[in-house]
Amino acid sequence: MKNIYRPLPLLLLLLLSGCFHLLPSDGGGQGDIRTDIRPTDPGDIALPEGYKAEVVATGLTFPTGVAFDAQGQLYVVESGYSYGEVFLEPKLLRVEPNGTVATVATGQRNGPWTGVTFHNGNFFVGEGGELEGGKILRISPEGSITPLVENLPTMGDHHTNGPVIGPDGNLYFGLGTATNSAVVGPDNYDYGWLKRFPDFHDIPCRDIVLKGLNYTSTIPLESKSGVQTTGAYVPYGTPTREGEVIKGSIPCSGAVMRITPEGGQLELVAWGFRNPYGLAFAPNGQLYISENSFDVRGSRPIWGTADYLWKVQPDTWYGWPDFAGGLAMNGDRFEAPDKKAPQVLLAQHPNQPPKPTADLGVHSSSNGLDFSRSNAFGYQGEVFVAQFGDMAPEVGKVLAPVGYKVVRVNVENGVVTDFAANKGKKVAPASKLKTGGLERPVSVKFSPDGQSMYIVDFGVVKMTEKGAEPQVKTGVIWKITKS
Amino acid sequence: MKRLFILSATLFLLLSLSYCGTARRGVPMFAPLSTENPAVAQGEVVYMEYCQKCHPGGTAGLAPAINNKPLPGFLMRFQIRNGVGIMPAFKENVISDGELDDLVAYLKALKKAKREEG
Repeated sequence: MKNIYRPLPLLLLLLLSGCFHLLPSDGGGQGDIRTDIRPTDPGDIALPEGYKAEVVATGLTFPTGVAFDAQGQLYVVESGYSYGEVFLEPKLLRVEPNGTVATVATGQRNGPWTGVTFHNGNFFVGEGGELEGGKILRISPEGSITPLVENLPTMGDHHTNGPVIGPDGNLYFGLGTATNSAVVGPDNYDYGWLKRFPDFHDIPCRDIVLKGLNYTSTIPLESKSGVQTTGAYVPYGTPTREGEVIKGSIPCSGAVMRITPEGGQLELVAWGFRNPYGLAFAPNGQLYISENSFDVRGSRPIWGTADYLWKVQPDTWYGWPDFAGGLAMNGDRFEAPDKKAPQVLLAQHPNQPPKPTADLGVHSSSNGLDFSRSNAFGYQGEVFVAQFGDMAPEVGKVLAPVGYKVVRVNVENGVVTDFAANKGKKVAPASKLKTGGLERPVSVKFSPDGQSMYIVDFGVVKMTEKGAEPQVKTGVIWKITKS
Repeated sequence: MKRLFILSATLFLLLSLSYCGTARRGVPMFAPLSTENPAVAQGEVVYMEYCQKCHPGGTAGLAPAINNKPLPGFLMRFQIRNGVGIMPAFKENVISDGELDDLVAYLKALKKAKREEG
């Protein structure tokens, strides 16, 4: 009889642990996802007491950001490029009061257009650069497109993001990294860009010294087939050695940059980010960004890192590829189940990275953000962050959907609180819940009068074993006001 | 030993049943969590730094939900200090004893949060 006691503590421990290894991934885009229609019903969105949601526009294809002109007229950008190697023409659209849209400008198939801002009579758009490299574009109200800067090194996993206007009148934007964690490998082949650019890799903003760690992989790349050895910050199939110096240059990977609205010299603001996607200035003029953090994929998978909200201090290195949230990869904290623990790649680090302002959910894909500036809306001084939602299992396994909502963050103490989320027993996109609520919020923007918050909802992205399957014409713009 | 068996069996049963209800708490679904108690307020800040990323708002994400697991305080402390499964251990040099007290106070408040439609 005593023998039956023995397994009980173990069973208990298993229950407490949630049996991560035994459970399948259950991301929000996985499984039985509704893709044929995209109904909308503001009543399916839970909001704090006193707030209401309404639909502004529907049927958009991969919308990523909104802006308001000097008259308060609403505009939206459609990305053009999407996960799953979908190449469409990006567009700037005017949203009429009745919800219909009119095309103002059409870009080249070099998306994704990741954001838009209006300043001194023109629109400024971040062009991701999947085929030709990133650009910052100026678009006149008549639709004339002028590149302010081109050939930004963002043809890989992550793109040219933003831009926003700073208190100094300059344009601030983000440059994402080419890779997940500085080593080009099989995941980049699967994403498609390594076939197009077999020599593309990450570029440091300052000179760095490598430890000489190398990784082996095999992919059916025409020019580099068979087993290849690859180091950090070098093309696929290029080994590195201990003490090797990689020269820094501008523009670079994983950085926040600045230019004037007329273009001209690129300036580095801060670096060491993986994918600085959302940028916003607080009412006190301080820049904050959202960072999409590491995935469990590729030659150097990294596990369990939050997405981060960062207060950006000039001339500071934020840790990529050797730190996550200010913690160094010098132990098993970031070791993915059944994988090797990641080791640091750099022999010296430019500085001890700061601690983040807030941790956001692992794989939440915390993207566009904006600060409330008015008591007419409430939560003045807090930042609202759109969470696109997980891309599991491609980025790693999750036990339940993460994200698919808008959260608010108190930047003084890092407390994160849900603001707009779908009603239901669990957190999930509307396509999984079979409701008319939020799908994948990608950006938020307050109206110039501060009274309304607009949520840009990218639309349905189904995740399959083959990768992402984004659904055209499922994007929505929502408006939230205090009733 | 018999006590351990009864305790384990009871916990086993409770844990099995606990996943039936929603783990969601607080706004916007329900009434806001009260943080008038300073320990709960401070515990919330500790939670945000160490727990939020894997258990957003106490719900499941990378890791299982914790709002609907009927763990007593001593087992919460044990799990936080020693880790279990994929969860790392948070020793005294990471989360101090005082912070752990606050964290447990917050976790208990979060689990008991009144579930009224907000």
